[in-house]
Amino acid sequence: MGLFQHKDHKGLTDAEAFEAEQHFFDENFREELRNHGRLYFEKVIKENGKIFKEDLDATITSVNTTLKEHTDKQLEEAIASIKAELKEHVTTQLDGQFSEFSKAAKESQDVALKSLTDSADNLKKQHEDLASTLQKSIANQSLMLESLFQENMNKIAAVKEANDAALKSLNQSLEELKQQNEQITEVLEKKIATQEEAIITAFEGNMAQVVEHYLLDALSDQYDMKAQLPSIIKQMELNKQAMVDDMKL
Amino acid sequence: MSETEAKTYENFVLPARVVSRIDVSRLVSEVEWIDGELTAAAVRSKTGKEEPAQPTYSDQLNDFLKENKLSLEDSRGRSDLIKELRLLKDKVPVIHMTFAVPADHESLQELAQWLRTEVHPQALIAAGLQPSLVAGVYLRTPNHIHDLSLRAVLKGKRDSLVKELETLRVRQ
Repeated sequence: MGLFQHKDHKGLTDAEAFEAEQHFFDENFREELRNHGRLYFEKVIKENGKIFKEDLDATITSVNTTLKEHTDKQLEEAIASIKAELKEHVTTQLDGQFSEFSKAAKESQDVALKSLTDSADNLKKQHEDLASTLQKSIANQSLMLESLFQENMNKIAAVKEANDAALKSLNQSLEELKQQNEQITEVLEKKIATQEEAIITAFEGNMAQVVEHYLLDALSDQYDMKAQLPSIIKQMELNKQAMVDDMKL
Repeated sequence: MSETEAKTYENFVLPARVVSRIDVSRLVSEVEWIDGELTAAAVRSKTGKEEPAQPTYSDQLNDFLKENKLSLEDSRGRSDLIKELRLLKDKVPVIHMTFAVPADHESLQELAQWLRTEVHPQALIAAGLQPSLVAGVYLRTPNHIHDLSLRAVLKGKRDSLVKELETLRVRQ
Protein backbone atom coordinates (compact mmCIF):
# COMPACT_ATOMS: atom_id res chain seq x y z
CA MET A 1 0.00 0.00 0.00
CA GLY A 2 2.73 2.39 0.88
CA LEU A 3 5.01 1.42 -1.99
CA PHE A 4 2.69 2.31 -4.80
CA GLN A 5 0.92 5.17 -3.08
CA HIS A 6 2.68 7.76 -5.25
CA LYS A 7 1.76 5.98 -8.55
CA ASP A 8 -0.81 7.64 -10.61
CA HIS A 9 -4.00 5.63 -10.91
CA LYS A 10 -6.18 8.32 -12.14
CA GLY A 11 -6.65 6.94 -15.67
CA LEU A 12 -7.86 3.53 -14.41
CA THR A 13 -11.19 2.47 -13.05
CA ASP A 14 -11.52 0.69 -9.79
CA ALA A 15 -12.08 -2.60 -11.44
CA GLU A 16 -9.14 -1.98 -13.71
CA ALA A 17 -7.13 -0.87 -10.87
CA PHE A 18 -8.10 -3.90 -8.95
CA GLU A 19 -7.28 -6.03 -11.92
CA ALA A 20 -3.96 -4.28 -12.44
CA GLU A 21 -3.29 -4.61 -8.86
CA GLN A 22 -4.16 -8.28 -9.02
CA HIS A 23 -1.89 -8.52 -12.04
CA PHE A 24 1.05 -7.05 -10.14
CA PHE A 25 0.36 -8.56 -6.85
CA ASP A 26 0.35 -12.21 -7.84
CA GLU A 27 1.34 -15.03 -5.62
CA ASN A 28 5.02 -15.00 -6.55
CA PHE A 29 5.38 -11.34 -5.97
CA ARG A 30 3.79 -11.76 -2.61
CA GLU A 31 6.06 -14.53 -1.71
CA GLU A 32 9.00 -12.39 -2.85
CA LEU A 33 7.83 -9.67 -0.66
CA ARG A 34 7.36 -11.94 2.33
CA ASN A 35 10.86 -13.24 1.89
CA HIS A 36 12.22 -9.77 1.53
CA GLY A 37 10.34 -8.72 4.61
CA ARG A 38 11.46 -11.72 6.53
CA LEU A 39 15.13 -11.11 5.68
CA TYR A 40 14.82 -7.46 6.58
CA PHE A 41 13.10 -8.32 9.80
CA GLU A 42 15.80 -10.87 10.65
CA LYS A 43 18.50 -8.28 9.92
CA VAL A 44 16.80 -5.72 12.11
CA ILE A 45 16.29 -8.26 14.84
CA LYS A 46 19.96 -9.34 14.66
CA GLU A 47 21.19 -5.71 14.81
CA ASN A 48 18.89 -4.93 17.67
CA GLY A 49 19.88 -8.18 19.47
CA LYS A 50 23.53 -7.27 19.10
CA ILE A 51 22.92 -3.81 20.45
CA PHE A 52 20.75 -5.22 23.19
CA LYS A 53 23.45 -7.71 24.11
CA GLU A 54 26.09 -5.01 24.26
CA ASP A 55 23.79 -2.89 26.39
CA LEU A 56 22.99 -5.85 28.58
CA ASP A 57 26.68 -6.66 29.04
CA ALA A 58 27.47 -3.12 29.95
CA THR A 59 24.53 -3.06 32.31
CA ILE A 60 25.56 -6.32 33.93
CA THR A 61 29.14 -5.10 34.33
CA SER A 62 27.90 -1.90 35.86
CA VAL A 63 25.50 -3.76 38.12
CA ASN A 64 28.26 -6.13 39.18
CA THR A 65 30.61 -3.34 40.06
CA THR A 66 27.95 -1.48 41.95
CA LEU A 67 26.80 -4.63 43.70
CA LYS A 68 30.36 -5.49 44.65
CA GLU A 69 31.02 -2.10 46.06
CA HIS A 70 27.78 -2.16 47.96
CA THR A 71 28.41 -5.60 49.31
CA ASP A 72 31.97 -4.73 50.39
CA LYS A 73 30.74 -1.71 52.16
CA GLN A 74 27.95 -3.62 53.84
CA LEU A 75 30.31 -6.40 54.88
CA GLU A 76 32.92 -4.05 56.28
CA GLU A 77 30.28 -2.35 58.33
CA ALA A 78 28.85 -5.64 59.53
CA ILE A 79 32.32 -7.01 60.41
CA ALA A 80 33.24 -3.87 62.28
CA SER A 81 29.99 -4.04 64.18
CA ILE A 82 30.39 -7.75 64.90
CA LYS A 83 33.99 -7.27 65.98
CA ALA A 84 33.04 -4.60 68.45
CA GLU A 85 30.20 -6.66 69.82
CA LEU A 86 32.27 -9.81 69.97
CA LYS A 87 35.11 -8.02 71.73
CA GLU A 88 32.79 -6.62 74.26
CA HIS A 89 31.09 -9.98 74.80
CA VAL A 90 34.36 -11.93 75.06
CA THR A 91 35.81 -9.40 77.47
CA THR A 92 32.73 -9.68 79.64
CA GLN A 93 32.83 -13.47 79.48
CA LEU A 94 36.52 -13.65 80.23
CA ASP A 95 36.24 -11.32 83.15
CA GLY A 96 33.45 -13.47 84.58
CA GLN A 97 35.36 -16.66 84.05
CA PHE A 98 38.55 -15.18 85.48
CA SER A 99 36.77 -14.19 88.59
CA GLU A 100 35.22 -17.67 88.86
CA PHE A 101 38.56 -19.37 88.23
CA SER A 102 40.26 -17.22 90.82
CA LYS A 103 37.63 -18.09 93.31
CA ALA A 104 37.80 -21.82 92.55
CA ALA A 105 41.61 -21.80 92.64
CA LYS A 106 41.59 -20.15 95.96
CA GLU A 107 39.12 -22.66 97.31
CA SER A 108 41.21 -25.51 95.88
CA GLN A 109 44.36 -24.11 97.36
CA ASP A 110 42.65 -23.88 100.71
CA VAL A 111 41.44 -27.45 100.47
CA ALA A 112 44.87 -28.72 99.31
CA LEU A 113 46.61 -26.80 102.06
CA LYS A 114 44.29 -28.29 104.57
CA SER A 115 44.77 -31.73 103.15
CA LEU A 116 48.55 -31.34 103.16
CA THR A 117 48.48 -30.18 106.73
CA ASP A 118 46.35 -33.18 107.68
CA SER A 119 48.66 -35.55 105.77
CA ALA A 120 51.70 -34.07 107.46
CA ASP A 121 50.07 -34.60 110.81
CA ASN A 122 49.16 -38.14 109.91
CA LEU A 123 52.64 -38.84 108.63
CA LYS A 124 54.16 -37.47 111.76
CA LYS A 125 51.87 -39.62 113.80
CA GLN A 126 52.58 -42.68 111.70
CA HIS A 127 56.28 -41.99 111.89
CA GLU A 128 56.06 -41.86 115.62
CA ASP A 129 54.05 -45.10 115.65
CA LEU A 130 56.53 -46.77 113.31
CA ALA A 131 59.47 -45.66 115.39
CA SER A 132 57.81 -47.04 118.46
CA THR A 133 56.92 -50.32 116.68
CA LEU A 134 60.40 -50.60 115.24
CA GLN A 135 61.96 -50.17 118.59
CA LYS A 136 59.72 -52.85 120.00
CA SER A 137 60.43 -55.12 117.03
CA ILE A 138 64.17 -54.63 117.32
CA ALA A 139 63.98 -55.47 120.99
CA ASN A 140 61.97 -58.61 120.17
CA GLN A 141 64.33 -59.57 117.35
CA SER A 142 67.29 -59.11 119.60
CA LEU A 143 65.71 -61.36 122.18
CA MET A 144 64.82 -63.93 119.51
CA LEU A 145 68.28 -63.86 117.97
CA GLU A 146 69.83 -64.30 121.35
CA SER A 147 67.55 -67.22 122.03
CA LEU A 148 68.25 -68.73 118.57
CA PHE A 149 71.96 -68.27 119.01
CA GLN A 150 71.82 -70.08 122.28
CA GLU A 151 69.70 -72.81 120.76
CA ASN A 152 72.08 -73.19 117.79
CA MET A 153 75.03 -73.32 120.10
CA ASN A 154 73.34 -76.16 121.95
CA LYS A 155 72.56 -77.94 118.66
CA ILE A 156 76.13 -77.53 117.39
CA ALA A 157 77.40 -78.97 120.62
CA ALA A 158 74.99 -81.91 120.23
CA VAL A 159 76.02 -82.43 116.61
CA LYS A 160 79.65 -82.32 117.57
CA GLU A 161 78.99 -84.87 120.27
CA ALA A 162 77.12 -87.07 117.76
CA ASN A 163 79.92 -86.68 115.25
CA ASP A 164 82.45 -87.76 117.83
CA ALA A 165 80.32 -90.78 118.66
CA ALA A 166 79.87 -91.62 114.95
CA LEU A 167 83.56 -91.19 114.31
CA LYS A 168 84.34 -93.44 117.20
CA SER A 169 81.82 -95.99 115.93
CA LEU A 170 83.24 -95.71 112.40
CA ASN A 171 86.76 -96.23 113.68
CA GLN A 172 85.58 -99.26 115.58
CA SER A 173 83.76 -100.58 112.48
CA LEU A 174 86.80 -99.89 110.38
CA GLU A 175 88.91 -101.86 112.76
CA GLU A 176 86.39 -104.71 112.68
CA LEU A 177 86.23 -104.54 108.89
CA LYS A 178 89.97 -104.63 108.73
CA GLN A 179 90.02 -107.73 110.88
CA GLN A 180 87.24 -109.31 108.80
CA ASN A 181 89.08 -108.42 105.64
CA GLU A 182 92.22 -110.07 106.94
CA GLN A 183 90.25 -113.17 107.91
CA ILE A 184 88.46 -113.27 104.54
CA THR A 185 91.74 -112.75 102.72
CA GLU A 186 93.28 -115.60 104.66
CA VAL A 187 90.29 -117.89 103.95
CA LEU A 188 90.22 -116.86 100.31
CA GLU A 189 93.91 -117.46 99.89
CA LYS A 190 93.55 -120.90 101.37
CA LYS A 191 90.54 -121.61 99.20
CA ILE A 192 92.26 -120.27 96.10
CA ALA A 193 95.29 -122.42 96.82
CA THR A 194 93.04 -125.47 97.25
CA GLN A 195 91.13 -124.72 94.08
CA GLU A 196 94.32 -123.99 92.22
CA GLU A 197 95.62 -127.36 93.28
CA ALA A 198 92.38 -129.04 92.23
CA ILE A 199 92.33 -127.19 88.91
CA ILE A 200 95.94 -128.06 88.21
CA THR A 201 95.30 -131.69 89.05
CA ALA A 202 92.26 -131.73 86.81
CA PHE A 203 94.21 -129.87 84.17
CA GLU A 204 97.00 -132.40 84.29
CA GLY A 205 94.49 -135.21 83.91
CA ASN A 206 92.78 -133.42 81.06
CA MET A 207 96.11 -132.45 79.58
CA ALA A 208 97.09 -136.09 79.40
CA GLN A 209 93.82 -136.77 77.62
CA VAL A 210 94.38 -133.80 75.34
CA VAL A 211 97.89 -134.96 74.49
CA GLU A 212 96.65 -138.45 73.95
CA HIS A 213 93.80 -137.26 71.78
CA TYR A 214 96.17 -135.04 69.85
CA LEU A 215 98.52 -137.93 69.25
CA LEU A 216 95.67 -140.17 68.20
CA ASP A 217 94.45 -137.55 65.74
CA ALA A 218 97.92 -136.76 64.52
CA LEU A 219 99.03 -140.34 64.01
CA SER A 220 95.82 -141.93 62.81
CA ASP A 221 96.39 -141.02 59.18
CA GLN A 222 100.13 -141.52 59.18
CA TYR A 223 100.42 -145.30 58.83
CA ASP A 224 98.91 -147.65 56.29
CA MET A 225 98.64 -151.36 56.87
CA LYS A 226 101.95 -152.22 55.23
CA ALA A 227 103.80 -149.71 57.35
CA GLN A 228 102.21 -151.09 60.48
CA LEU A 229 102.79 -154.72 59.61
CA PRO A 230 106.31 -155.09 61.09
CA SER A 231 105.18 -153.43 64.29
CA ILE A 232 102.09 -155.66 64.50
CA ILE A 233 104.14 -158.80 63.96
CA LYS A 234 106.60 -157.60 66.56
CA GLN A 235 103.77 -157.07 69.05
CA MET A 236 102.33 -160.47 68.25
CA GLU A 237 105.74 -162.01 68.74
CA LEU A 238 105.74 -160.61 72.24
CA ASN A 239 102.32 -162.15 72.88
CA LYS A 240 102.93 -165.31 70.91
CA GLN A 241 103.07 -167.65 73.83
CA ALA A 242 99.79 -166.46 75.27
CA MET A 243 98.15 -166.93 71.87
CA VAL A 244 99.55 -170.41 71.47
CA ASP A 245 98.36 -171.35 74.94
CA ASP A 246 94.91 -170.02 74.19
CA MET A 247 94.73 -172.06 70.99
CA LYS A 248 95.56 -175.23 72.86
CA LEU A 249 92.72 -174.80 75.31
CA MET B 1 92.68 -190.56 45.49
CA SER B 2 94.26 -192.63 48.12
CA GLU B 3 95.91 -189.51 49.50
CA THR B 4 92.59 -187.76 49.73
CA GLU B 5 91.19 -190.65 51.65
CA ALA B 6 94.10 -190.53 54.11
CA LYS B 7 93.89 -186.76 54.65
CA THR B 8 91.55 -185.32 57.16
CA TYR B 9 90.83 -181.69 57.74
CA GLU B 10 93.30 -181.67 60.63
CA ASN B 11 96.10 -182.49 58.21
CA PHE B 12 95.24 -179.92 55.62
CA VAL B 13 97.82 -177.33 54.82
CA LEU B 14 96.24 -174.01 54.09
CA PRO B 15 97.90 -171.99 51.35
CA ALA B 16 98.75 -168.34 51.85
CA ARG B 17 95.91 -167.20 49.59
CA VAL B 18 93.40 -168.76 51.95
CA VAL B 19 93.17 -166.26 54.75
CA SER B 20 89.65 -166.22 56.13
CA ARG B 21 86.77 -168.55 56.74
CA ILE B 22 85.12 -167.00 53.70
CA ASP B 23 87.99 -168.25 51.59
CA VAL B 24 87.43 -171.76 52.98
CA SER B 25 83.73 -171.48 52.23
CA ARG B 26 84.61 -170.42 48.71
CA LEU B 27 86.83 -173.53 48.41
CA VAL B 28 83.96 -175.71 49.54
CA SER B 29 81.58 -174.14 47.05
CA GLU B 30 84.08 -174.39 44.22
CA VAL B 31 84.84 -178.05 44.91
CA GLU B 32 81.11 -178.78 45.10
CA TRP B 33 80.57 -177.06 41.77
CA ILE B 34 83.50 -178.89 40.16
CA ASP B 35 82.23 -182.15 41.57
CA GLY B 36 78.86 -181.52 39.99
CA GLU B 37 80.41 -180.56 36.67
CA LEU B 38 82.71 -183.60 36.57
CA THR B 39 79.90 -185.97 37.57
CA ALA B 40 77.71 -184.56 34.83
CA ALA B 41 80.59 -184.91 32.36
CA ALA B 42 81.06 -188.55 33.35
CA VAL B 43 77.36 -189.23 32.79
CA ARG B 44 77.48 -187.51 29.42
CA SER B 45 80.58 -189.50 28.38
CA LYS B 46 78.76 -192.73 29.22
CA THR B 47 75.85 -191.72 27.02
CA GLY B 48 78.31 -191.12 24.17
CA LYS B 49 77.74 -187.43 23.94
CA GLU B 50 80.43 -184.88 23.33
CA GLU B 51 82.87 -184.67 26.21
CA PRO B 52 82.66 -181.28 27.91
CA ALA B 53 85.68 -179.07 28.50
CA GLN B 54 87.70 -179.58 31.68
CA PRO B 55 86.59 -176.98 34.38
CA THR B 56 89.16 -174.35 35.35
CA TYR B 57 90.15 -173.97 39.00
CA SER B 58 90.65 -170.78 40.92
CA ASP B 59 94.12 -169.80 42.17
CA GLN B 60 93.10 -170.54 45.75
CA LEU B 61 91.90 -174.00 44.86
CA ASN B 62 94.93 -174.66 42.71
CA ASP B 63 97.24 -173.65 45.60
CA PHE B 64 95.22 -175.72 48.06
CA LEU B 65 95.33 -178.82 45.88
CA LYS B 66 99.02 -178.30 45.22
CA GLU B 67 99.93 -177.74 48.86
CA ASN B 68 98.03 -180.81 49.93
CA LYS B 69 98.96 -182.89 46.90
CA LEU B 70 95.31 -183.57 46.04
CA SER B 71 93.43 -184.23 42.82
CA LEU B 72 89.77 -183.85 41.95
CA GLU B 73 89.60 -186.51 39.32
CA ASP B 74 88.09 -189.22 41.51
CA SER B 75 84.44 -188.76 42.38
CA ARG B 76 84.67 -190.35 45.80
CA GLY B 77 87.76 -188.39 46.62
CA ARG B 78 85.88 -185.19 45.72
CA SER B 79 83.07 -186.15 48.03
CA ASP B 80 85.49 -186.83 50.89
CA LEU B 81 87.28 -183.57 50.18
CA ILE B 82 84.01 -181.67 50.31
CA LYS B 83 83.17 -183.30 53.62
CA GLU B 84 86.58 -182.55 55.09
CA LEU B 85 86.56 -178.99 53.80
CA ARG B 86 83.19 -178.42 55.48
CA LEU B 87 84.62 -179.78 58.72
CA LEU B 88 87.68 -177.59 58.25
CA LYS B 89 85.45 -174.56 57.80
CA ASP B 90 83.63 -175.29 61.06
CA LYS B 91 86.54 -176.48 63.19
CA VAL B 92 89.48 -174.36 62.12
CA PRO B 93 90.52 -171.75 64.72
CA VAL B 94 89.74 -168.13 63.73
CA ILE B 95 91.64 -165.20 65.14
CA HIS B 96 89.76 -161.90 65.00
CA MET B 97 92.05 -159.08 64.11
CA THR B 98 90.80 -155.48 64.14
CA PHE B 99 92.98 -152.88 62.46
CA ALA B 100 93.02 -149.08 62.45
CA VAL B 101 93.15 -148.94 58.67
CA PRO B 102 91.68 -151.22 55.99
CA ALA B 103 93.85 -154.30 55.61
CA ASP B 104 94.96 -155.25 52.11
CA HIS B 105 95.01 -158.89 51.06
CA GLU B 106 98.80 -159.11 50.88
CA SER B 107 99.21 -157.95 54.46
CA LEU B 108 96.53 -160.37 55.60
CA GLN B 109 98.33 -163.18 53.78
CA GLU B 110 101.58 -162.25 55.52
CA LEU B 111 99.88 -162.20 58.91
CA ALA B 112 98.14 -165.50 58.20
CA GLN B 113 101.45 -167.04 57.30
CA TRP B 114 103.03 -165.83 60.51
CA LEU B 115 100.09 -167.14 62.56
CA ARG B 116 100.27 -170.53 60.86
CA THR B 117 104.00 -170.73 61.44
CA GLU B 118 104.06 -169.44 65.01
CA VAL B 119 100.66 -170.09 66.57
CA HIS B 120 98.52 -172.63 64.72
CA PRO B 121 99.06 -174.25 61.31
CA GLN B 122 95.46 -173.77 60.26
CA ALA B 123 94.73 -170.40 61.79
CA LEU B 124 92.33 -168.17 59.86
CA ILE B 125 91.84 -164.43 60.20
CA ALA B 126 88.57 -162.50 60.61
CA ALA B 127 89.56 -158.93 59.81
CA GLY B 128 87.81 -155.86 61.19
CA LEU B 129 88.23 -152.09 61.09
CA GLN B 130 88.34 -149.62 64.02
CA PRO B 131 90.03 -146.26 63.19
CA SER B 132 90.16 -145.18 66.85
CA LEU B 133 92.89 -147.75 67.40
CA VAL B 134 95.22 -145.31 65.55
CA ALA B 135 97.72 -148.03 64.73
CA GLY B 136 98.45 -151.65 65.64
CA VAL B 137 95.91 -154.41 66.07
CA TYR B 138 93.17 -155.44 68.44
CA LEU B 139 93.46 -159.20 68.52
CA ARG B 140 90.92 -161.68 69.83
CA THR B 141 91.82 -165.39 70.15
CA PRO B 142 89.09 -167.89 71.15
CA ASN B 143 89.46 -167.10 74.85
CA HIS B 144 91.56 -163.94 75.14
CA ILE B 145 91.85 -160.39 73.95
CA HIS B 146 95.18 -158.81 73.12
CA ASP B 147 95.00 -155.07 72.60
CA LEU B 148 98.16 -154.37 70.67
CA SER B 149 96.98 -150.97 69.40
CA LEU B 150 98.68 -147.57 69.80
CA ARG B 151 95.61 -146.34 71.64
CA ALA B 152 96.17 -148.99 74.33
CA VAL B 153 99.85 -148.06 74.54
CA LEU B 154 99.02 -144.39 75.06
CA LYS B 155 96.32 -145.24 77.58
CA GLY B 156 98.75 -147.40 79.50
CA LYS B 157 101.22 -144.56 79.60
CA ARG B 158 98.80 -141.86 80.66
CA ASP B 159 99.84 -142.09 84.31
CA SER B 160 103.45 -141.54 83.38
CA LEU B 161 102.40 -138.53 81.28
CA VAL B 162 100.51 -137.06 84.25
CA LYS B 163 103.55 -137.63 86.44
CA GLU B 164 105.74 -135.89 83.93
CA LEU B 165 103.39 -132.93 83.83
CA GLU B 166 103.40 -132.76 87.63
CA THR B 167 107.15 -132.77 87.61
CA LEU B 168 107.16 -129.99 85.05
CA ARG B 169 104.81 -127.92 87.20
CA VAL B 170 106.88 -128.41 90.34
CA ARG B 171 109.96 -127.21 88.46
CA GLN B 172 108.14 -124.09 87.27
